[in-house]
Amino acid sequence: METAVLQVFRYDPEKDQAPYYKEYEVPVEGTLLNALLYIKDNLDPTLAFRAFCRSEVCGSCSMKVNGKTKLACKTPMKELVETWKGKPLRIEPLNHMKVIKDLVVDIDKPIEKMKTLIPWLVPDPRVVPTDPMHESIIYPEEMEAYKDQIHCMLCFSCYSACEAVADNERYRGPFAFSKAYRFQVDRRDIETAKEKRIRYAISGGLWSCVQCQKCLYVCPKGVKPAEDIQNLRGQAVKKGFTDKPGAKKLKHFVDWIYATGQINRLYLPEEVYGNKEAREKLTKAYTEMGVEVWEVPKPTKGLMKFRDIYLEILSKEDKALDLDYSHVRKIDKMVSDIFKADICTIVDKAHEEGRSSRGLISKLKGLLGGQ
Amino acid sequence: MLQFDILIVGAGGAGLYAALETSKRKGLSVAVLSKVYPTRSHTGAAQGGINAALGNVAPDSPEKHAYDTVKGSDFLADQDAVELMCEMAPKIIREMEHMGLPFSRLKDGRIAQRPFGGASFPRTCYAADKTGHVMLQTLYEQCLKNGVKFLNEWFLLSIVHNGERVSGVVAMDLRSGEIHGIRAKAVILATGGHARVYWNRTSNALGNTGDGTAAVLRAGLPLKDMEFVQFHPTGLRRTGILVTEGARGEGGYLINNKGERFMKKYAPEKMELAPRDMVSRAIETEIMEGRGFRDDEGNEFVYLDLRHLGRKKILERLPQIRELAIDFEGVDPIEEPIPVRPTAHYSMGGIDADKLGRTPIKGLYAAGECACISVHGANRLGGNSLLDIVVFGKLSGEDAINYVSEIGFAPFDESEVKREEERIDSLFSSDGKEKLVDLRSELSDVMSYGAGIFREEKKMKEALEKVREIKERAKHVKVYDGERTFNTNLQQTLEFLNLVEIAETIVLPALERKESRGAHYRTDYPKRDDENFLKHSVVERGEDGELRLSWKPVVITKYQPEERKY
Ligand SMILES: Cc1cc2nc3c(=O)[nH]c(=O)nc-3n(C[C@H](O)[C@H](O)[C@H](O)COP(=O)(O)OP(=O)(O)OC[C@H]3O[C@@H](n4cnc5c(N)ncnc54)[C@H](O)[C@@H]3O)c2cc1C
Ligand code: SF4
Ligand code: SF4
Ligand code: FES
Repeated sequence: METAVLQVFRYDPEKDQAPYYKEYEVPVEGTLLNALLYIKDNLDPTLAFRAFCRSEVCGSCSMKVNGKTKLACKTPMKELVETWKGKPLRIEPLNHMKVIKDLVVDIDKPIEKMKTLIPWLVPDPRVVPTDPMHESIIYPEEMEAYKDQIHCMLCFSCYSACEAVADNERYRGPFAFSKAYRFQVDRRDIETAKEKRIRYAISGGLWSCVQCQKCLYVCPKGVKPAEDIQNLRGQAVKKGFTDKPGAKKLKHFVDWIYATGQINRLYLPEEVYGNKEAREKLTKAYTEMGVEVWEVPKPTKGLMKFRDIYLEILSKEDKALDLDYSHVRKIDKMVSDIFKADICTIVDKAHEEGRSSRGLISKLKGLLGGQ
Repeated sequence: MLQFDILIVGAGGAGLYAALETSKRKGLSVAVLSKVYPTRSHTGAAQGGINAALGNVAPDSPEKHAYDTVKGSDFLADQDAVELMCEMAPKIIREMEHMGLPFSRLKDGRIAQRPFGGASFPRTCYAADKTGHVMLQTLYEQCLKNGVKFLNEWFLLSIVHNGERVSGVVAMDLRSGEIHGIRAKAVILATGGHARVYWNRTSNALGNTGDGTAAVLRAGLPLKDMEFVQFHPTGLRRTGILVTEGARGEGGYLINNKGERFMKKYAPEKMELAPRDMVSRAIETEIMEGRGFRDDEGNEFVYLDLRHLGRKKILERLPQIRELAIDFEGVDPIEEPIPVRPTAHYSMGGIDADKLGRTPIKGLYAAGECACISVHGANRLGGNSLLDIVVFGKLSGEDAINYVSEIGFAPFDESEVKREEERIDSLFSSDGKEKLVDLRSELSDVMSYGAGIFREEKKMKEALEKVREIKERAKHVKVYDGERTFNTNLQQTLEFLNLVEIAETIVLPALERKESRGAHYRTDYPKRDDENFLKHSVVERGEDGELRLSWKPVVITKYQPEERKY
């Protein structure tokens, strides 16, 4: 029978000074969970890990395999062996949570964090009847808005993979924002609760997410926390929570990308944090280092078409109003001043030069959450 | 000592509903104790849906629902309890809808309903094929909202009572390994089912080991109708993981190796949507008579064909089934039929309780799959368990509130804690001559052989003997992990010991019930015998440690027993 070697993280705080790895030879059959059960049943009953449903629904068995977050009962051993080409498979507990024993981590903290975001329905009596004789009327189309989020099974894979959790102790965690967002787009939930959720989300680190998209890639249930976070940010801006640097940052991003296809690092400190000297200092520093800096990036081929697409995407997301046209016009003027021509002419010229604007759109899509 | 007015053991649908009910009453101290985090309870694995006569798709009524349930139960259900459940069904569905439960909807915005086995109308409300998951999440959310206190990853060891009233429980905090007495005026057991007795082929979670049921048995209290275990017709070939009845509800076919929809021989009218006991027997018969399929690994099966439903419907209504089929069988149901075979699924029998969840001990309640109220009798209809758990979770919660507000704490005999400590200590120092895995597997095999889908006297007698032998040998099973912290080796051993105790309570009444009814099918007595066996079996353990069997009448209100044809 084909076998593989698992190097399993072992740590029993009761008796071990420090964690260590123990090797086990397991059959390449079924899932990683089968392999762990095989160890427990046949090789070493002292190994501790969580597992319950063994069918991808309870969220007990997430862990790391060679650094990658995996749901053990959803991960075929064959696939692991093929991916890692026969190298040993290092099995470790999730990140950012205290190890209780071996692969078992303390999940109380992320649950406590989630609780601060009102992850439950606060019914709006205008939509939800208060007597049990009537249903609220909810159209199937409306449910599209939260069809992915309801699949979250609190497995904490995303929490383990998240950059922002690593950086910021207070950061609530990707899944927590998805749980919150699910109610933000449920018509049965009352407006005052939605307002509060946004406020709590902001103080829970809503703007700390760096949009690395890792949560989205590791989620075994197709939840897309990174997108939900962008959408929550959008809601925050719309609800007028614009005094926060994060909200200003979003505005900066939206406007500059529309206007030029790129964010502008030189202007970012000023527009977001109100730091007026930063631009000059940065320009000076770059110049001294011999790096070429442009106050505004030169518009590229296809920019106008790109603007149309961008606007279309924003409108689809109901975010067209996030664009501040007076700001865009200001940027346009800066462009024409610097390049001594109006923006359309520059773009046409760029077209002739055959420079391409590919890449922009995908970058933009990433920024808007992959739509 | 920890102390609560009401202690709820189990955080599946039944436990959480009871918790929600009690959390509405201010000033009560309530806690929910569970061996897994609430959202990981097995309720979350329920796929197909929950029944209620909303009549949103076709005209329906609680009476028709009750009739279908009673008929499905092969007339063993207590009809007063069934009527109560079916009457409450529409209200409790709407109550959960108002909590935010994302039921799938009809075009006009009302809750959608799909056909399910044994039902006269499309009556099953659902959320795609993740009904249990969203239900569990919703109930948990509401519990958080109401500030319910949870003791997560605590393991129930025993129930403490004085022969008249309950005084609390003994439980272990898995994280520290400490054993605690917990005093409570009322205890609601909602610890789920025990289909893991059939370890090697079941749709159940690894921990559905009947812990609460076994604790009740050890506490000298009665279990009811234990011989009735449901085998779900469509478990995945290799793992026994479930393919919901919703798949047939949406129009899936069962196909044998002749390419026939063989259900036409067994239930010409209802076909694939006949009740589960019938469909499971039909599949096994096809396999036994050589009309099944067999793969290289020696697995035998028939096909569940969904291809004609089309890609769109499968993706929309059965996305999880598709994922499970791909992940565990390498089969995409859009393109290929799914290999399936019956799998041990549901415990109709359980802790003997009345229609408010009350047991013979005051203040001790049972609700959900661990209880036998009985609303499912000899065979449960699909979609009726999720209903059962919330209805009787709610009712037992309500009754417990009333009970505790009029009464103080019963004295708690602390020697019970000591006794559990000793029981556990002895597991660490056993000689280890027997291996848990082997015994568990032997138990599963002998139960499938003697108390499976087809039963007969000779095999059951052998099984009973073997189960008793395993019980003796189990005394030599050792816990190897010597530390207390999160000792899953200890936990799996305790769970296995519970399974062994439960197994005996299944075989004993099965042997004595000399008829065929619902899921209990005897080849030596293939007919239902209302004259002698229209009654519930009751098993208790006497002072001498031996099981005693007695019988109890069935409550009949208006549905007289008739032949069960589909
Ligand atoms: C795969 C599958 C699909 C199903 N689909 C459907 C369906 O579509 N429709 C339907 O109506 N029914 C369905 N059922 C049946 C239904 O899901 C279950 O009967 C029901 O969910 C049981 O709920 P419960 O609350 O009684 O127990 P569970 O949800 O099993 O919860 C038991 C609780 O008890 C706790 N517990 C157990 N032992 C201990 C202990 N020793 N100490 C502390 N806590 C303990 C557990 O931690 C858990 O929280 C399905 C069942 C399965 C297995
Ligand atoms: S996108 Fe944001 S939430 Fe998701 S992992 Fe990255 S930082 Fe965390
Ligand atoms: S969002 Fe996905 S990865 Fe994160 S906890 Fe939920 S199910 Fe797990
Ligand atoms: S064991 Fe439940 S998700 Fe893996």
